[in-house]
Amino acid sequence: MKKKFVIVGNSAAGIGALESIRTHDRQSSVTVISDEDYPTYSRCLLSYFLAGKIAERGLRFRPDDFYKKMGAEIILGQRVESVEPEKQRIVCQDNTKIDYDQLLIATGGTPKVPANISTETDGIFVLRTVADAMGIQNRIKPRGNAVVLGGGLVGMKVAFALNHRGMHVTVVVRSPHVLSQMIDSQAALIVMSRLREYGIDVLTGSDVTEVQDLNGEVTGVHIDQGSEPSDPQEAPCDVLVVAKGVAPNMGLAEETPVERNLAIVTNASMQTTCENIYAAGDVAETFDIATEQSAVNALWTCAMQQGKIAGLNMAGENRQYDGSVGMNSINFPGVDLISFGVIRPQDEEEYEVLADSRPEMGVYKKLVLKDDRIKGLILVNRIDHAGILLSLLGRKANVADLKGELLSDRFNYARVLASGGHEEMLRYWSAGCAVRRK
Amino acid sequence: MKVIYCRIDRCLGCKACELACAVEHSESKKLEQAVREEPPPAARVRVHGVDKKGAQARWRCMALRCRHCEEPACVAACIAGGIVKDEQTGIVRFNKDKCVGCWSCTMVCPFGAVVRSPDGGFAIKCDLCEDRETPACVEACPTHALLFCESEEFEALLSEEEIRHSGQ
Repeated sequence: MKKKFVIVGNSAAGIGALESIRTHDRQSSVTVISDEDYPTYSRCLLSYFLAGKIAERGLRFRPDDFYKKMGAEIILGQRVESVEPEKQRIVCQDNTKIDYDQLLIATGGTPKVPANISTETDGIFVLRTVADAMGIQNRIKPRGNAVVLGGGLVGMKVAFALNHRGMHVTVVVRSPHVLSQMIDSQAALIVMSRLREYGIDVLTGSDVTEVQDLNGEVTGVHIDQGSEPSDPQEAPCDVLVVAKGVAPNMGLAEETPVERNLAIVTNASMQTTCENIYAAGDVAETFDIATEQSAVNALWTCAMQQGKIAGLNMAGENRQYDGSVGMNSINFPGVDLISFGVIRPQDEEEYEVLADSRPEMGVYKKLVLKDDRIKGLILVNRIDHAGILLSLLGRKANVADLKGELLSDRFNYARVLASGGHEEMLRYWSAGCAVRRK
Repeated sequence: MKVIYCRIDRCLGCKACELACAVEHSESKKLEQAVREEPPPAARVRVHGVDKKGAQARWRCMALRCRHCEEPACVAACIAGGIVKDEQTGIVRFNKDKCVGCWSCTMVCPFGAVVRSPDGGFAIKCDLCEDRETPACVEACPTHALLFCESEEFEALLSEEEIRHSGQ
């Protein structure tokens, strides 16, 4: 039976859904709607574009004929205003109404901007869209001053990009160290020393309290470094990038029975509380496997996986999502870093922590376990086997007899197989390797 | 699809596969010249030792590489669209020109088979030697521990050997 699929959102989750729908259903119509004027592109690559490492074309992570190949209709530059679940249709900004049998809300998130800062001011940006990146790009001038507010993944990537383009960069973070969501203070020592080597200033425990502008153009910022007595420091600023995380775009769920909590609530099929409406990506709240709590893991990899699961279920396949894991990888000169799951356990008694610190080599590894199961990981500059450990986390594998080896540089998949007790993985592997079954 | 299988009971850990793979992925494709190349050519296959005593002592080592998965985690994770599964051949193809070295693939590969290049600039993994009839590692394996075949062929071979083994 031919159906009408409508996907609101044209980034990772939307594309993941479109592709997985098409693996099972070539007949039904699929309409993808985006409020941006740009065919699908990779937001994660925007900082590489800013750094001048890839051209604008390189942002496209799918071929030019992608929508055609997928047999999908793409509507760009159109904002979807509301959903009418009882009529099974959406209403667009220009009042166009589009019917659906199955709807996916993949509207992503909007960068959070503190109340005292306005991106209406020239020179103040967030980094979420191609338009944002173009705006920042136009303000780049060698030896100019850039201030990055926020020391998370996006903040760090922007800081390195602008540094690479010859700007003097100051990162302002409220936390005691950068990347506070993805690493601990030990790993941060390595990262912070690299930042210093590159001449990037980091002000921790600090905040931008005031923005100075001249004729609507930013000229400087006041930075409160939390010192006593509080004496905000003035810093010149040609471009201010706010990178304080994103909030889910849940507007479409308003005045509908679609339940919202931290974000739009989804079940293991990525279905919302409303029949025929699915949600995936930065707008979706999912079960976090590592913390065993509901969470919004607004990450590219998670969005892709969730979109894929949503698409399969929309197409009538019954596929369950195991849940998300907060996971990040980042690279900048001298640092390769991967972390996931619980990285700073609050309850010391419940968790076991294994660590290997070799600061002279810039190497740091930390593994967080609970009941002999992997719950979280930080790897700095020895990252090659991260995926094996992530997979063990996802499978809730008991790693009691592997503990001595998990953080070894020589740890590898063969050791997982040899340790036994991982029947599921053994079966998985035996499809490709001569593991003798009993 | 044809993939590379490893018969653990035959793997000596001689690393002939690693050497052949590195040479195959060098500029010159000749050992005597490859050893002097900068950056040094890297193998996409790794022989791993398994320090396990006792009942499983036979599993001494095994050669591991990309499995060209049915539903590859790396393909979904790649932020640059640089890893694509070829629907016809089943090969999970990696496009070096698109790679920005973000390590999303390394983060999610359950086999640890997508790793950093020696200079750390981009990821590397097994490409199944697409332009050769038989992958270089398979050809180089002195004990025929490595096989390039369909899964059915491999399964058949295994049960054949098991029967022979139990008959002894």
